[in-house]
Amino acid sequence: MIAFEHVGKRYGGRFEALAHLNFRVGRGEMVFLTGHSGAGKSSLLRLIIRLERPSRGRILVAGHDIDRLHHTQVPFYRRQIGVVFQDHQLLFDRSIYHNVALPLEIQGMELRETSRRVRAALDKVGLLHRERALPIELSGGEQQRVGIARAVVNKPALLLADEPTGNLDPQLSADIMSLFEDFNRIGTTVMVASHDLALIARLRHRTLRLHDGRLVADEEAL
Amino acid sequence: MSRQGQEQPRRGARTHRAGAGGRWRSWGRHHRAMARDSALRLLRHPLSSLLTMLAIAIALVLPAGLWLALDGARLLDAELDESATLTAYLAERVDDGEAGRIEEALAAQQGVADTRLITAAEGMAEFQQSLGLEDALARLPGNPLPASVVVSPVDPSPEAVRRLADELGALNGVEEVRLDLAWLERLRHLAELGQRVTLALVVLFGMGVLLVVGNTIRLAVENRRQEIEVVTLIGATHPFVRRPFLYSGAWYGLGGGILAWGLLTLGGDWLSGPVSALAASYGASFVLPTLGVGGSATLLACSTLLGWLGAWIAVSRHLAQIRPR
Repeated sequence: MIAFEHVGKRYGGRFEALAHLNFRVGRGEMVFLTGHSGAGKSSLLRLIIRLERPSRGRILVAGHDIDRLHHTQVPFYRRQIGVVFQDHQLLFDRSIYHNVALPLEIQGMELRETSRRVRAALDKVGLLHRERALPIELSGGEQQRVGIARAVVNKPALLLADEPTGNLDPQLSADIMSLFEDFNRIGTTVMVASHDLALIARLRHRTLRLHDGRLVADEEAL
Repeated sequence: MSRQGQEQPRRGARTHRAGAGGRWRSWGRHHRAMARDSALRLLRHPLSSLLTMLAIAIALVLPAGLWLALDGARLLDAELDESATLTAYLAERVDDGEAGRIEEALAAQQGVADTRLITAAEGMAEFQQSLGLEDALARLPGNPLPASVVVSPVDPSPEAVRRLADELGALNGVEEVRLDLAWLERLRHLAELGQRVTLALVVLFGMGVLLVVGNTIRLAVENRRQEIEVVTLIGATHPFVRRPFLYSGAWYGLGGGILAWGLLTLGGDWLSGPVSALAASYGASFVLPTLGVGGSATLLACSTLLGWLGAWIAVSRHLAQIRPR
């Protein structure tokens, strides 16, 4: 699903955020990405969703060299990827329903299909009863679950998460991670960047460890 | 909500249909939603929206008003063309019978549309009447005025009139041909100057409208920066992101156009009294031109288009700068 081939990323010509990255993530795999803060986890995810372009090497996603995408194709590429952010990036001027519907609205999906999918996604994260609420009325854990519902509403083949449990207590974090495992179980490729080592160790998935922008360990699940 | 209610009965196996028709429908739906949404956003801050529209209106009123004035001047110009006549003064020795023959000869000339003979006696009577000098003129030993023929040319352009004057002047019995082209030409130059000044003002104030709308939309883009970043991250195309701002710009432009129309109408009413009084004192009838249906439509279309364009420039400039974090 994802292949990094000799990928390096420099910022401003000097600072080397990522260097010599070589790895593959198979379709349907669930992978953790870990490392100290500043190790390059976010940069790596930004490369995959093509917010940044690699300075060296190439990145293949679903067999396509994403550096070759024309800028007008990038939006359509991004629609195939669900992204969950640490600060969930909800829009506070609209209801939970409309936040989750946003990716479908962007694609111009019909209203009935939109409503069906939004309700299914909200049901999956256990927030169907809050669809009319505004994000501000929800707790941090609930907001993160809305962020996940928005990421999966489009049934993406690839789900990326950047520190999705960063601000949550251990119990909520475990709930969020088990949601990701559920999506992985139905065939979604999942990549989660996190520095919550204790939680990662318990979940037993393949783990990529970054240190100063280099891949220092690629540990298969035990 | 009502839309969903309407569609309820059709639900069934056909739900998953994303054909071209559905795509167009949803595209149209997004346009309608954004048009409504951006209008509501404007209404949410009525005072600042009104001020922006007023700024646009003021920028539009000056060139539009000048345009109207020019339209009036052109009307005046057309009337002058019609009254561009030559006067052929006949030699003093010519008597009335001969004058009639000369008039016929003049009328037969090419390029002459119409002629009117004023005999020496008629000329005297007219002169006395218009000057009120009956007594003084009556004391003169004889009539010092020659007979004259007023000639209306077919082609009222200055060159043609001048050529015709030369031709008529060469005829036997014609002493002198007078034409007053100088002030006609002056007026023409003035009209051209007016046109150019108006055009310059249209361009300058049009750019003013672009800047006003651009600045307002720039602030709106800043205010919705997070939203733009999020939708960009989840696959929104640039046209999708631009759309609400373009509608905002168009609404600002339309509102400004309507205000400008109101100001022009009010201003026209306010000025029409003194203008017709002034014209009457010159023995002319001059009515301030109004926009009319076509002019109003043009004004509104132009202002809306300018608003849209200003928004387009502002959003495109800022879309390039906004990069999701």
